[in-house]
Amino acid sequence: MQDFEYQKPKTVTEAGDAFNAQSDGSFLAGGQTLIPVLKQGLAMPSGLIDLAGIEDLQGITATESTLTVGAMTTHARVAASPEVQKAIPALAGLAGGIGDPQVRNRGTLGGSLANNDPSADYPAAVLALSAVVVTDKRRIPADGFFTGMFETALDEGELITDVEFPVAERAAYAKFPNPASRYAVAGVFVARVDGAVRVAVTGAGPGVFRAAEMEAALDKDFQADALEGIAVSEADLIADIHASAGYRAHLIGVMAGRAVDAANANVGAA
Amino acid sequence: MTDVTIGQPVRRSEDERFLTGRGRYIDDINLEGQARAVVLRSVYAHARIKNIDASGALAMEGVLLVVTGEDWIAEGFGPMPTKTAIRKNRDGSELSEPPRHCLAIGRVRYVGEPVALVVAETDPIARDALDLIDVDYESLDAVTDAVEALAPDAPQLWDDIPGNLCIDFELGDREGVEKAFAEADHVITLDLENNRVTAVPIEPRGCVGSYDPETDTYLLYNSTQNVHAIRDTLAENVFGIDKEKIRHIAPDVGGGFGVKNSAYPEPPLVLYAAKKLGRPVKWINNRSESFLSDTHGRGQTSRVQLAIDNDGTFRALRTETVAGIGAYCWTIGPFTPTGGSARTQGGPYDFPVMYYRSRAVFINTGPMDPYRGAGRPEATFQTERIIEYAARQLGLDPIEIRRKNLMRPEKLPHKTSMGLNIDCGDFPKVFERTLKLADPGSFAERAEQIKTAGRRFGFAIAPYLECTGGGPKEFAGVAFGADGTVSLSVGSQSTGMGHETSMAQLLAARLGIPFERVEYHQADTDKTPIGGGHGGSRGMELGGNAVAQAAGEVIEKASGLAAHLLQSKAADLTFEGGSFKDSGSGASVSMVEVIEASFDSERLPDDLEPGCLDTGSTFERGEISIPNGCHAAAVEVDPKTGAILLLGYWVVDDFGTIINPLLADGQVMGGVAQGIGQVLTENIVFDDSGQLITGSLMDYGLPRADGVPDMVIEYYEGAPTKKNPLGVKGAGEAGCVGSLPAVVNAVLDALKEFGVVHIDIPLTSEKVWRAVQDQGAHDPKGLIEGAL
Repeated sequence: MQDFEYQKPKTVTEAGDAFNAQSDGSFLAGGQTLIPVLKQGLAMPSGLIDLAGIEDLQGITATESTLTVGAMTTHARVAASPEVQKAIPALAGLAGGIGDPQVRNRGTLGGSLANNDPSADYPAAVLALSAVVVTDKRRIPADGFFTGMFETALDEGELITDVEFPVAERAAYAKFPNPASRYAVAGVFVARVDGAVRVAVTGAGPGVFRAAEMEAALDKDFQADALEGIAVSEADLIADIHASAGYRAHLIGVMAGRAVDAANANVGAA
Repeated sequence: MTDVTIGQPVRRSEDERFLTGRGRYIDDINLEGQARAVVLRSVYAHARIKNIDASGALAMEGVLLVVTGEDWIAEGFGPMPTKTAIRKNRDGSELSEPPRHCLAIGRVRYVGEPVALVVAETDPIARDALDLIDVDYESLDAVTDAVEALAPDAPQLWDDIPGNLCIDFELGDREGVEKAFAEADHVITLDLENNRVTAVPIEPRGCVGSYDPETDTYLLYNSTQNVHAIRDTLAENVFGIDKEKIRHIAPDVGGGFGVKNSAYPEPPLVLYAAKKLGRPVKWINNRSESFLSDTHGRGQTSRVQLAIDNDGTFRALRTETVAGIGAYCWTIGPFTPTGGSARTQGGPYDFPVMYYRSRAVFINTGPMDPYRGAGRPEATFQTERIIEYAARQLGLDPIEIRRKNLMRPEKLPHKTSMGLNIDCGDFPKVFERTLKLADPGSFAERAEQIKTAGRRFGFAIAPYLECTGGGPKEFAGVAFGADGTVSLSVGSQSTGMGHETSMAQLLAARLGIPFERVEYHQADTDKTPIGGGHGGSRGMELGGNAVAQAAGEVIEKASGLAAHLLQSKAADLTFEGGSFKDSGSGASVSMVEVIEASFDSERLPDDLEPGCLDTGSTFERGEISIPNGCHAAAVEVDPKTGAILLLGYWVVDDFGTIINPLLADGQVMGGVAQGIGQVLTENIVFDDSGQLITGSLMDYGLPRADGVPDMVIEYYEGAPTKKNPLGVKGAGEAGCVGSLPAVVNAVLDALKEFGVVHIDIPLTSEKVWRAVQDQGAHDPKGLIEGAL
């Protein structure tokens, strides 16, 4: 690991200034990806700007129509939040299923989104719920945020401050976890927001994506049965020692059906 | 102050230290002025080393030393030989053993093989310096699959070892088996894989070494399971010095499981560097390096054949195995797939005749050496899988054919075709008790509910029989202190199992002294003259019997002093409940009082000195003991995804006398968890060029607490062995032995309506899903065909 400067600003403005002062700065959120990458020498930033001291990036607020989560809010806090559990229980459930307790106590929403790992859970929720990613410069709709594998619409030095999730009528997330890492081998977030259905798939492709055919079918009839006969193409899916592309394609269908069932059951329970 | 007894579930006295961060592991040891060492490891699975240029590293500030294979050979150091007990090929010739030096000499043969040692002021400097060593490699073709390595056109690892063959071993009655095969109603054949795994102890390997020029002696702290044997290898084989010149100490060790049994290259490199630099040197492996450089285990491909009659009677068993052992013969590398896997073939069943053949093969991978069970889990898996498979093929009840063929107690003692002397046990009783605990008859309703939810229920029962191993001698020393403490030094070793509790409990119970007074010591070559360390479930069998024997000697010595104190004759005294009693006068004196008196010149007779009760005792095992038992598992399988969930687990073990059932439970649970890990998620995978794909915990799937079910564990104590005075049979590895077939057969039971009769482990969700899709289509004679 190469030496680097370490700074812990108190405000978003200070963080931006600190970043600009570095030749090759890097924001540190929960560090669940960045710290291992640093240890392996795969990233060698000149300075780390630790966001943990910025209070404005923490916290959860809910209105009737919108749930706003601060970028530095940990997965554990989202999972345990009564506001999240009431507004979008599927989001609390997703956060509670990320990695393991150690990861959930350190990892953050903003860190996960900015990293955009193709197997991460949060991107599926943000895309399916049509959330808005709020940065220190602008508001980025979910459909324009995820641009590729580990790529986002964020500019150099742009910092996620909050994510605004519309409160869904129905929503659920079903994932088939990697037995070792517990990242998604195939994770499907299904949501109906303002009457429109969105289905987002993570873990299976080179980045989170929407399943248009499933959305159209569920728009007509929001039941798992409506998905029957929809074949997911394995053409653009990833393959590794844990799952072939064909198996991932199959799992997307199974997880989507289970997510729909769960979304309907959630409503029934409430 | 507590009185303890044998068989009492005394809680572990070491746990408070471990759980509050006060354990003292290898990385907690720092010697004044120490430098740090890092190993440069091969990035090729097979390559010629044309040149090594370390000048860039040596020019770096803070770099103290670079050692290469050429330097090592120039010093005249010797290779580390294998200590396998099996050394002969079928034709009587010697096995092939290439030299295993501490650094690669002219050629690398696996990814991770040590190429150079770098020593620097700090660990980060040493790691950065690795990038500045320029190694000019010429890549060669590699082979990582043992069956492929036997092919005539396979890449050859060693110029003077044709066909990559280390040893071609056989055991049993070949002709008798052939005759039985010809006569039996059926011969059922199944090729199967026992996948390659590694133990991943929570504490990686590491060592700290120093050299004292005044006495010309070395001091080595090492995270190892076997201080004496490894010291001997370093002294006698590597350095060519008297073994007394090296003091070898293992501090607290965070897990071993066999991985820390081997003589590794790093400790001698560290000692050499310490002497050369005149300052202590420390080396700590990180997790990524551990995956590459720790020994792995299992990794066998076998054809198993069962001769069976229409009524389900077993007539004969034949197993043919091919196993890759890495590029070299490691400490007992050639033993595990040969003798280690042969002995317990056939398990607790009454096989009239058996035959086992195995070839150990050199491949371009990291080392293979013992992993918890070292051959017995493999043998049990082969035996139980072919039985289950035969039952399915022939439409027989898998529980009934097991019941029918279990060896009856009246048949014991019995010597099997594999030469194993089974002295005692009651296999039918243990089997029926396990069935009663699991109560499969009660599952019908639950199975129905599970099926309604789209999943399937499965159950299987797996009797097992294994044997102990490891060094045949053990030492225990007892020394009394004037302050009342009793120092107990034992040559066997705990790497987390809890000997600090169980050995102290045994001594305290035998002497009738308070448990808390015993101070336990282990794993220091200066503290015990010999020591067999940890391995082969030998702790209680060897160390425990040594402690019991030493306790007997203390009682003998103390009886003389007691007689003096009671003014009786030693011959008139009985020792019971911690007191000596004169059967005539009825006067008595406790052991605690006798110990006190041994430090009191007023009460000591003239011919005795303080410390007169101290003793050092060496126990020698006559014959290995035969732990046995039975596992049962209940699972549910989701045929839509292939996901497997363990619902229940039941174990009845015959470990002979149980010293501490709480610690025995811990051994069983840990072993079962490792078995579950192997058959469901753990797997070492290399790509075609020999690179390790599963080199981190992101890809290597260790079992987690939420995937391991609660277990019901009982002990059958009706058959203590007479092979050793304590009557113990060894508990450390059995959990791993029984769990592989129990879990796999339960999963296959759940899939029977889909026609699935075999899936090779690990049972990944994709493999299970595909087997369901394929309606069980599989090739029962596929894997090993090329090598027969």
